[in-house]
Amino acid sequence: MNHKDRFYATINHQVVDRPASWLGLPVPSAEPALLKHFGVNSIENLKLAIDDDIHPIEVPYNFPPSNHIACAFNFAKQTHLDTPDERTLTAPGFFEDYNEVTDIDKFDWPDPTKHLDREESNRRAKATSKNHIRMGIMWSAHFQDACAAFGMEHALMVMLTNPDMFQVVIDRITNFYLKANEIFYESTKGQLDAVLIGNDFGSQTGLMVDPDMIRTMVFPGTKKLIDQAKSYGLSVMHHSCGSIFPIINDLHEIGADIIHPIQALADEMDAPNLKKNFANKIAFCGGVDAQYLLVNGKPNQIINKVHELKELFPTGLIISPSHEAILPDIAPANIEALFKAIKD
Amino acid sequence: MEDILVKLGYCVEFGKVDKNAPYPPDMKGQDGADELTKQAIEQGISAAVILEDALVAAMNRVGQKFTEKKIFIPQMLMSAKAMNAAVAHLKPFFNSGEITRKGKFIIATVKGDLHDIGKNLVKMAIEGAGWEVIDLGVDVPTEKVLETIQANPDAKIGLSALLTTTMGNMQVTVESIKSKYPSNAIIIGGAPVNEEFKTKIGADFYAPDPQSAVSYLNR
Repeated sequence: MNHKDRFYATINHQVVDRPASWLGLPVPSAEPALLKHFGVNSIENLKLAIDDDIHPIEVPYNFPPSNHIACAFNFAKQTHLDTPDERTLTAPGFFEDYNEVTDIDKFDWPDPTKHLDREESNRRAKATSKNHIRMGIMWSAHFQDACAAFGMEHALMVMLTNPDMFQVVIDRITNFYLKANEIFYESTKGQLDAVLIGNDFGSQTGLMVDPDMIRTMVFPGTKKLIDQAKSYGLSVMHHSCGSIFPIINDLHEIGADIIHPIQALADEMDAPNLKKNFANKIAFCGGVDAQYLLVNGKPNQIINKVHELKELFPTGLIISPSHEAILPDIAPANIEALFKAIKD
Repeated sequence: MEDILVKLGYCVEFGKVDKNAPYPPDMKGQDGADELTKQAIEQGISAAVILEDALVAAMNRVGQKFTEKKIFIPQMLMSAKAMNAAVAHLKPFFNSGEITRKGKFIIATVKGDLHDIGKNLVKMAIEGAGWEVIDLGVDVPTEKVLETIQANPDAKIGLSALLTTTMGNMQVTVESIKSKYPSNAIIIGGAPVNEEFKTKIGADFYAPDPQSAVSYLNR
């Protein structure tokens, strides 16, 4: 099978020669060791060396200092570096001081048409191998941004005390992403196969927010983002860290094709439990624990885990680390073992 | 007397801060933790009874429900807010020594780690259980923790880490504390942390959730 056939067969629960795979997104500090271990000079070449199926395309967003669309909103009241690594959701946010829905326009909302680089989007898509699944890394984390808009703790209380205020903020953020994504999808038309969107809803032990509140206040926006991607013919991978078992069905119902990342050690997120409850209903991506196994395990343990996952999910699971960010504490030999075992 | 304490406990459990608070909707216009605590003091109920029988008991129920996934972070935050509104009225009694905290608890997210949601929840639960909490924030170097223990020699310590890459810093901090202050109990928590890691680094207790940290401190 070629990479695309394997990907689509995996997510459609059809027979595959081997399950599809995704390396994830190594953080910059993890890259030197990975490149050295595999004897390559770029992550793109590393992905070719391990015969990965999914190749990500980051959204080019010109907004210093981060130049990252995940940092498009300057909500934090305190000065900080505002890079993905420095960004804290709990920092007090602009809307902490506002209670009326009419206050929504007091914030200087960014205009994605001014920052999202159309030509660079097209260039990046063209530069990515056509033979692989080209996945736009959209994030479009409207819930997380709404938390940052108030400061997370305040936001979670506003969800209870002033739901209209929370709703108007998250809706405005959703509209920003719908516009930004439209620009990206139009600029890369015909050159994308899938997108990654998502928000973190789970902790290690359970959902952070009542599932009914997520359904009422967050998922309508998620559905719009999914519907938009689908209107461009794209498969949708939905990301959420943590234990999200009670809302997996909801994500399926609003159109997500793939649930990422199966945080294997989080409550109820182990592969056997997901197989028992969702086999042949929705596809998953992840499963190889990145909290303990990939960090502390030996290559033979990684191989055993991948074999176990393949037995549980002969199809329907894109095998991948259980966290998209490959951190520098994961031995490259374990990544090599993971991808070797997929092909055994 | 019992009636007002029951009502006060109910307000804390369900996050009714004061009369003007819109939450919970079914208690709109009713007195909240703020007014009821004031009334209880005016009725001559001892601060110790208000604290233990109404407030701490309510927060204990909140912690239990959180562990059982019957409530989530927003509800827990509202309960903590109601608790704080009530405790504000008890401040003079703390100052006079009529009531005392159960002890001091130093809490921090370890060096290199900026994640604090879990830490803050543990802080709320432990404050709600009647402890004085000294929150050192996030990205806290070992030296700062040691200095704080030196100034508060009987304190228990809580350390949090979310990233696998900062677990090593947690180990460094725990080992440094234990080498200088071997009798100060250390609780650890955070997504990648577990019982095995606790044993490996020599901490005293692994808390998978806020209420288990409270139970350990109150044992």
